[in-house]
Amino acid sequence: MASEKLNMIEQFKNLDILKVDRRTFLKAVAALGATSFVSLYGNQLTEALAAFPETKVLWLHGAECTGCSESALNGSSPEFADALSELNISLVYHETLLAQQGIFVDGKLVGNSELNGEILLKELVAAGGYILVVEGSIGNGPDGTGKINMIGTHPFKKIYEDAAKNANAIIALGTCATYGGITVTDSDVKKYCDFMGVNQTENKKGGMNAVLGINKPVINLPGCPAHPDWFFLTVAAVLLGKIDLNNLEGVLDGDGRPKVFYPPQNTLHDNCPRRGFYDRGVLDERFAEGGCLWKVGCKAPYVHADCALRKWNNGTSLCMQAGGPCIACVEPIFPNGSMPFYVERESAGVLFGVNIGTVAALAIGAAVVAAGVHAVRRVNKEK
Amino acid sequence: MSENAQKTKTVERYNWVERWTHTFHAIAMLVLIFTGLHIYFGWDIMTFHNARVLHMVMVPVLILTNWCLVPYGILSHGWQEGGVKGVVKHFYYGYIFNKDDFRRLKGMVLNFFGKQEKYPEFTVYNKATGHYKTKLHPMFKIFIVVEGLCIFLIFITGIVLYKVDWSIIGIPIAHWLTIIFGWISPILNMNGLEFARWLHLALTYFFIFELICHAFILEFDTKVFKYWRSIFIDGKEYLDSPVVQVIDEEEHH
Repeated sequence: MASEKLNMIEQFKNLDILKVDRRTFLKAVAALGATSFVSLYGNQLTEALAAFPETKVLWLHGAECTGCSESALNGSSPEFADALSELNISLVYHETLLAQQGIFVDGKLVGNSELNGEILLKELVAAGGYILVVEGSIGNGPDGTGKINMIGTHPFKKIYEDAAKNANAIIALGTCATYGGITVTDSDVKKYCDFMGVNQTENKKGGMNAVLGINKPVINLPGCPAHPDWFFLTVAAVLLGKIDLNNLEGVLDGDGRPKVFYPPQNTLHDNCPRRGFYDRGVLDERFAEGGCLWKVGCKAPYVHADCALRKWNNGTSLCMQAGGPCIACVEPIFPNGSMPFYVERESAGVLFGVNIGTVAALAIGAAVVAAGVHAVRRVNKEK
Repeated sequence: MSENAQKTKTVERYNWVERWTHTFHAIAMLVLIFTGLHIYFGWDIMTFHNARVLHMVMVPVLILTNWCLVPYGILSHGWQEGGVKGVVKHFYYGYIFNKDDFRRLKGMVLNFFGKQEKYPEFTVYNKATGHYKTKLHPMFKIFIVVEGLCIFLIFITGIVLYKVDWSIIGIPIAHWLTIIFGWISPILNMNGLEFARWLHLALTYFFIFELICHAFILEFDTKVFKYWRSIFIDGKEYLDSPVVQVIDEEEHH
């Protein structure tokens, strides 16, 4: 693996990354990962981006766990702050990280944008010209009010609407923001909460943007959480014009994800470190047996993501390598379509909760019995 | 020639093309089911690689027989009796489940339960023309349609399983198929690729079910048992069989 990486670095090292076409740029992005990409082209990026005005990023949190922020902060090569610096990004608003707080006295905002986050957000939205990063889904319920998810005195739906209208582009970060994620898990209260993704909710296109009539370029970066590389390299590609926001069709797949990170041409299963066990038919029936995890619920054969090549925690490991089956967290069907997590999808109940293996066993068993009865009856009649 | 002598006459029920088509079709189907389940369950009988190679070799065999030789067998009859019209007529009476087949099937069920003495004659041979008007068991006529549809579906789901970006002359067939599956799959809470895999497995089970019905219910009947020999070996039809009705009708065009 290390030698493959070195070969790739060798192949790309003399490239003028700013002059190459979009295809080559994205190929380098996909193959190298943020660590190697920034170490190879950091100077070129810094020089190129210094010529542009600083790019403002406004980062909102809806219904979420802040895991995607944590994931970005855990990016170690480059570290979060270094990546912002390399890409000439000004993170103007991020609720978890900013020092300001939202202070109200008698229902009115007090202080100024230096002290009060609510005032800061209003000023930034009014100024416009930023990339909006949305982390977490957007509540529409109950009855379209959005009050299921209040931040301060406003529904997050309203905060998102104001911010999205003035944004140059929107990056939906994590599966909650892209497709609803765990906030749209089937439950009795799902329809009342009515959580939505930015541009898509589960498999249904449209999302909150359709409800609000917002038509902005949207890039989906699903994952629970999203990989820091996916975020930073997408931002880099956008800033350098390698991803044309007005022409996203060729860059994104049908679910709005950059094809370089979520390749339609192969599945996670294809590059899984346990793939050899699958090919030998060593399919674990229990955990920690060391073989392929398909029969204990691994969803990698249906999932498009480059986790197995990129790996997590600075290229250390990934779910299957650590012994946990893939739960399809980057797919629009997550989590309803990937539960139960530890049951092979073909064995999960689909027709009134009955799985196809049981249906088949009953039908085939009935046919065998019928064949026997039929044969006995016919022979007896002949006598 | 007396009527009895006429009835004991032996004619050709299946020609050599039909017999070989059926044999290859059966072999391909059995190997595909076995190797498919071998891959799915991770059996130890052979290596994954060999199972996959066998599976892939049998795909063109099945497709060639089912999509080329079977239609050839069906459409090569009837031409001499009336050109295109004759072919259509032969196809209708020979392969489409019609009201006569319904009557015959009903009679078979009643006969099975002892409510009707006579077992219906489902093969009708016209001695005037020397051809069959119809010869298949009525239940087969239903199975043919269902099986044809299932073979088509298992083939297209198999393309996606084989390679998710499989294309031919630049046409991204597998990608388009995945998109189409993605339109249906939300009903079952799946993505397109997941649905393709699930359907491929479900259809495999269906073929096992159909095989049992085809070979061990319909053909494990004392009255039709001889057709095992006919379809695999000699192709003969004995006109004195209780399931054969011999008619003497001139064709009018």
